[in-house]
Amino acid sequence: MSDTVLDVAELDVRYGPVRAVRGISFGVARGGITALLGANGAGKSSTLMAIAGVVPIASGRVSLFGQPTSKATPDAIVRSGVGICPEGRRIFASLTVEENLIVAGTAVATPQTAATRRAEMMERFPILGERRRQLAGLLSGGEQQMLAVARALMGAPRLLLMDEPSLGLAPQMVDTIFSIIEELQGEGISILLVEQNAALALEVANHAVVMANGEIAGQGAPADLQSDDLLKSAYLAA
Amino acid sequence: MKLKSLLLGTAIAAIGTASFAEDYVIGVMSAQSGYLAPYDGPAYAGFKFCMDEKMANGGLNGTTPVRLIVKDTRSDIAFGVQVVQEMLDDGAQFIVSSADADPTIAAAQITAADMVPTMTFAGTAPVLTQVGPHVFGSYPGDNQQGAVLAAYARDQGFEKAWLLTSPDSAYTLGGPRYFGEVFEANGGEVVGESTFSLNQPDFSAIVTNIQNAETAPDVIVTWAWEPDFPAFIRALRGAGVDTQVMGGDVLDTPTVRGLGEVVDGVVHTSGGFPEEGSDYAAFIKRFEEATGTTPDNNYYVNGCDIADMIEQAVAAAGTTDPAAVSAAMAEIENGKGTMSNFTFKGTDRMPLRDVVVARITGDGEKEFVLRQMADPETLPKP
Amino acid sequence: MDQLLQQLINALSLGGIYAMLALGLAIVFSIVGLINFAHGDIMTFGGYGIFLSMVFGFPPVAALCIGLGAAVVMALAMERTAFRVMRGADVISLLITSFAVSEILKVLFQNGISARPVPISFPASWSGSYQIGGMTIGVAPTASILVTILSLGCLTFVLRRLAIGMAMRAAAEDFDMLRMLGVRANRVVAAAFAISGLLAGVAAVIWTAQRGSVDPMMGFFPVLKAFIATVLGGLGSLGGAVLGGFVIGTLEVLTQAFLPDALAPYRDAIVLSAVIAVLLVRPDGLLPARSGARS
Repeated sequence: MSDTVLDVAELDVRYGPVRAVRGISFGVARGGITALLGANGAGKSSTLMAIAGVVPIASGRVSLFGQPTSKATPDAIVRSGVGICPEGRRIFASLTVEENLIVAGTAVATPQTAATRRAEMMERFPILGERRRQLAGLLSGGEQQMLAVARALMGAPRLLLMDEPSLGLAPQMVDTIFSIIEELQGEGISILLVEQNAALALEVANHAVVMANGEIAGQGAPADLQSDDLLKSAYLAA
Repeated sequence: MKLKSLLLGTAIAAIGTASFAEDYVIGVMSAQSGYLAPYDGPAYAGFKFCMDEKMANGGLNGTTPVRLIVKDTRSDIAFGVQVVQEMLDDGAQFIVSSADADPTIAAAQITAADMVPTMTFAGTAPVLTQVGPHVFGSYPGDNQQGAVLAAYARDQGFEKAWLLTSPDSAYTLGGPRYFGEVFEANGGEVVGESTFSLNQPDFSAIVTNIQNAETAPDVIVTWAWEPDFPAFIRALRGAGVDTQVMGGDVLDTPTVRGLGEVVDGVVHTSGGFPEEGSDYAAFIKRFEEATGTTPDNNYYVNGCDIADMIEQAVAAAGTTDPAAVSAAMAEIENGKGTMSNFTFKGTDRMPLRDVVVARITGDGEKEFVLRQMADPETLPKP
Repeated sequence: MDQLLQQLINALSLGGIYAMLALGLAIVFSIVGLINFAHGDIMTFGGYGIFLSMVFGFPPVAALCIGLGAAVVMALAMERTAFRVMRGADVISLLITSFAVSEILKVLFQNGISARPVPISFPASWSGSYQIGGMTIGVAPTASILVTILSLGCLTFVLRRLAIGMAMRAAAEDFDMLRMLGVRANRVVAAAFAISGLLAGVAAVIWTAQRGSVDPMMGFFPVLKAFIATVLGGLGSLGGAVLGGFVIGTLEVLTQAFLPDALAPYRDAIVLSAVIAVLLVRPDGLLPARSGARS
């Protein structure tokens, strides 16, 4: 299993009586991008949140870097080398851009390292550098997404969990975000990408998992899935 | 927890003595928590101590054993009413009620039906006995205290009084008003009045108003209690106002005396003073030896006096019938008490008793100024 | 004119205490959704800390520091023993837990120390006064205002300039997201309780210095006003809590000072009516909290 950073086996997620995720198994290869696809309500975000430790695992097993996460809290999981860009970006709107990055660095880096990484982030995303003293809530959607990515990178994660990074963005900005994703992969970061925009996700992914009604409808190489009817039916199933 | 053990104790006591049909049953409201706890606690301790002494001698007048039912009221009037009802259901023939007018008045409504005599631990507002002929005070009333204090103030040459009252309780409103009435009748003038709320956070605004008054007072009178009085006096002295302050018996506490220099010279009334060789001093010694606690306020000894009042009323009535005991109590004249003697005859059942005026010294002590009984003729009416 | 100025000083002094208490409530509420009814007991505990250390012979200034420390320790102990296990519970469950904590502490104070107020005798110079242009101004209200400004200033510095302060502001906005950045929840929550305890301790110091006694209910009444202040300012909004505290304090002093005698008994009713009137126009308070992503 040393070639995978994330292993999900027989994962179940329940909200009270509702079984949102039903015994799914998949993995993210080291340095690879796995795309988690499916219609709204298929269980993608629940899966991601269970991996992040935010919602409890009802049964099954999640292993990060070879270690089971069963009782770990989200903060411990993040400190083990995971970056999270949650759905809706959830940047701290009342903090400035720079403060968002400072907060993101507090738990995952020494003060010196955090300062260096902040400088790197401002270089990588020049717009954040320009607006460092602006309240994050005043940024455009795309800029907020960049901030969310930069924030997740402050701990130099080995695995990045991204939930709907393109949602609600202008087409041009969507392209930018996806080129960033490819760049990150190029730097050796493994990525689990939850995306509704299946076409784009399949372009960057090396593995794709299609979910429907909490179950895995199919998984495999993007090229195989693209030609398949599976994807279409999974989206229509919802 | 305390309530539970109390109830348990009461239950055990009830089982232990229930077989004696001739027991005189006295129900005691005693707040274990809340604003009345500081007064009900000592009053009950003194009452219990003297009742136990009597019991050791065979009961009231050596013949009538007493069974006490003690229940916590949490200083909650509605809950207190419920407690009184329970005690009546349990056979109480006499109710000793909490140390304030309001819970006593509420209790007296319940006891009125069977004319069960109801006596407050230390409520001093004269209005409390107006519920009916079965309601009694035990401590010198606010009007007696106000009258004696006002006469003293005039004697000392004070001319302009400022009253600090709170409409939140009969005590805090009544005391200074009675003072003002007698003060003006004796040729003084009330030049202003400020009102506060019980547990008011801040007295600086009142102090500023007094400082800027058109006519500066030469004496400030308040029946405010703790923690309002400490807050007021600190604010007053803190603002550089050194006007004489006078107050009611509620200032007769170690807490007020412990405030240090700010209370130096404050004059207050009191129900008694343990002078050398007095019965009161002897009581303090007995109590200390028996319990290890020093009775540091008058509520202890007044509680003891209540036991005497009940004993004397039962003796005079010759029966334990509630209505007869009420009638006999109202006729007591110069009954023997430990803090001071008491006369119910000719009063509104607020006993006429000596009022002591004392002065607080900066070193945490108090000194005796005078002892006087108010003149019933000129006593302000409730 | 002099009188108005003097009353304004009184208003600032009282409002400052309410502001600090309200801020303590708001910091904890904004992060863990707890309306801490036992906040008043933290303040009371600080007061007893001062009392006891003076009984044991510490000099007054040392006693005040011990009182401050006692309040912080109590706030942290409360979080650790009562509220940590309730983390994530709904607002009502948390509120009821805090009621229970408050009742338990009151009974402990009452039976362990005294149901009666206990006196604290500070040096006479602390309750002195001085003259400025014909106005007599008390040392205590002045010190109270200075201490309040200093405390609020330090807190602003912590919240604005230090990483832990930024993390607390972030937590107030979206606590779960903060955990998804690797920040240990317990640390931020403990820091919030510590700050809230410290503010309650400062309030206790000023309060006892001005009032001269401590009783089991000491913290209850000012904290009740501080609750109103947080609602007026906007529940969970830190700036709102401070503003609300000053508004309530000012209203109280001004109604006490200038209301005609006949209306005096309606003072609290008038202040509360004013608060309700404001809330009718601005239901979320004067400076509403940013809603953030938390539910």
